[in-house]
Amino acid sequence: MKKVMCLNKAAGMVRDGDTISFGGNVLHRVPMAFVREIARQKKQELKIVKTAGAHDIDLLCAMDSVTSVDAGFVSYETKFGLASHYRRAVQEGRVKGNEHACYTVICALRGAQMNVPFMPVKGLVAGELLEKNDYFMVVEDPFSGNPITLVKTIVPDVAVIHVQECDQNGNARIYGPKFEDVLLSRAAKKVIITTEQVVPAGMMKRNAEYVDIPSFLVSAVVHTPRGAAPASCPGKYDIDETSLISFLGMKTKEEIEGYLSDYSSRDHSGERTALRI
Amino acid sequence: MTSSHRPVDIMTCAIANMLEDGETVFHGVSSHLPMVAMSLAKNMHAPDLVHLNIPGGVNPSSIAKASYSSAGAELLDSGEAYFPLEEVFDLSMRGRLDVAFLGGIQFDINGNVNASVIGDYHRPKLRLPGGAGSAVLIPTAKKAIIWRVKHDPRTFVEKVDFVTTRGNLWKIVTPLCVFEFKNGKLHLDTIHPTSSLEEVRANTGFELLYDTVRYTPEPTREELNMLKKVDPHDYRSIELK
Repeated sequence: MKKVMCLNKAAGMVRDGDTISFGGNVLHRVPMAFVREIARQKKQELKIVKTAGAHDIDLLCAMDSVTSVDAGFVSYETKFGLASHYRRAVQEGRVKGNEHACYTVICALRGAQMNVPFMPVKGLVAGELLEKNDYFMVVEDPFSGNPITLVKTIVPDVAVIHVQECDQNGNARIYGPKFEDVLLSRAAKKVIITTEQVVPAGMMKRNAEYVDIPSFLVSAVVHTPRGAAPASCPGKYDIDETSLISFLGMKTKEEIEGYLSDYSSRDHSGERTALRI
Repeated sequence: MTSSHRPVDIMTCAIANMLEDGETVFHGVSSHLPMVAMSLAKNMHAPDLVHLNIPGGVNPSSIAKASYSSAGAELLDSGEAYFPLEEVFDLSMRGRLDVAFLGGIQFDINGNVNASVIGDYHRPKLRLPGGAGSAVLIPTAKKAIIWRVKHDPRTFVEKVDFVTTRGNLWKIVTPLCVFEFKNGKLHLDTIHPTSSLEEVRANTGFELLYDTVRYTPEPTREELNMLKKVDPHDYRSIELK
């Protein structure tokens, strides 16, 4: 099966109502070209899962594509302030903010990786996150009789991960921090890779031990140079402050639609070169 | 007392001096001030301090490039090994993380921390970024240090709107003072020489508990010189700008 495909088709694999997770962390190596394409395709009722998100979650909340966000932290970093569209969506009751403790997202994904319905998690022993959220539960450890907190497993329908290098079969290599992306690729039912470069399979094979995500886990490969922008992509480019700041100043959906269409040709720019492979 | 130092430098040096040589210490996202304090400690009295962070760079030799993010690749680029966030959490669960730096927006005298919402959890008046790792790290790290660049009666309140986590705090460092959590209550530990008991009291929404009034040490010349070296771009004050 040919996995290299255009952005349009790959984003079409995401269905309304899917549980979806994006790779990277806060402002780093986020699959933003893909996120923008989801927004352009006006996907609905997505349930987003991520330890710490920023522009990805904020943008999709602004475009009313989201019903819930399971995350430990949703904000830009200090210098760029808060994720205002996410906040407003939660405050107005349009999006359910399911707060996690970052580690509990990791444990929920580990549950998916191992195909068990929940994971015991140490540490989460006090406070109202336990009381207010139905995905946490304190039970008696059947072995010791002591209380233990469980977190309900989350199985993403789709994980979208942006990498620096991937071959046409889907063998993907991440340079720099991997964040939770390797785990994510094991936890999700479907994995879509967006990549800065599509490299020859033979070249990837020479360093097989550095492949983070093997091709048999991957359903689609999309060539998206600068596909993490305006977030950073280690070894390739730093954040695009101008673009980020312009987005942060936008209040209306119309302004953001303009922002999305401005990015459109850049987001699709890798397709011609990739499809020649 | 009067002092010509910037409160942010007093905070940074106070935090650095809370860290001991050989300790494993973690900071997260949006955490420039503790990141600089860790680097200062490592270059002064704690050369064997182990600096852990989200991107996974163990002991980054320089933090000078981590400009807008304390979770970026720069910390791994200059690090000596890779030990990512997942593993830092696991380490803390095993009882082997000595110090964790955490944030929050509201605190009360009983050591409750709110980083989640103002108002109802499911339909909040204000949705905050969230506690990130706080709810699992505060109970498991040996020492939890909170820093907050705002000190006013809306931050230090009688009762928090929501308890993201509680208990096992060690210190809270603000631009006015340091609180210590002991016997289940926040106690005034030291007042910064740039502030006063009156100012701390006027800006704290709960009763101040203390035995004697003590002051936070002034940064030394050596510390200030080292700060210039490890943090030449003054990232430590990024939250105050």
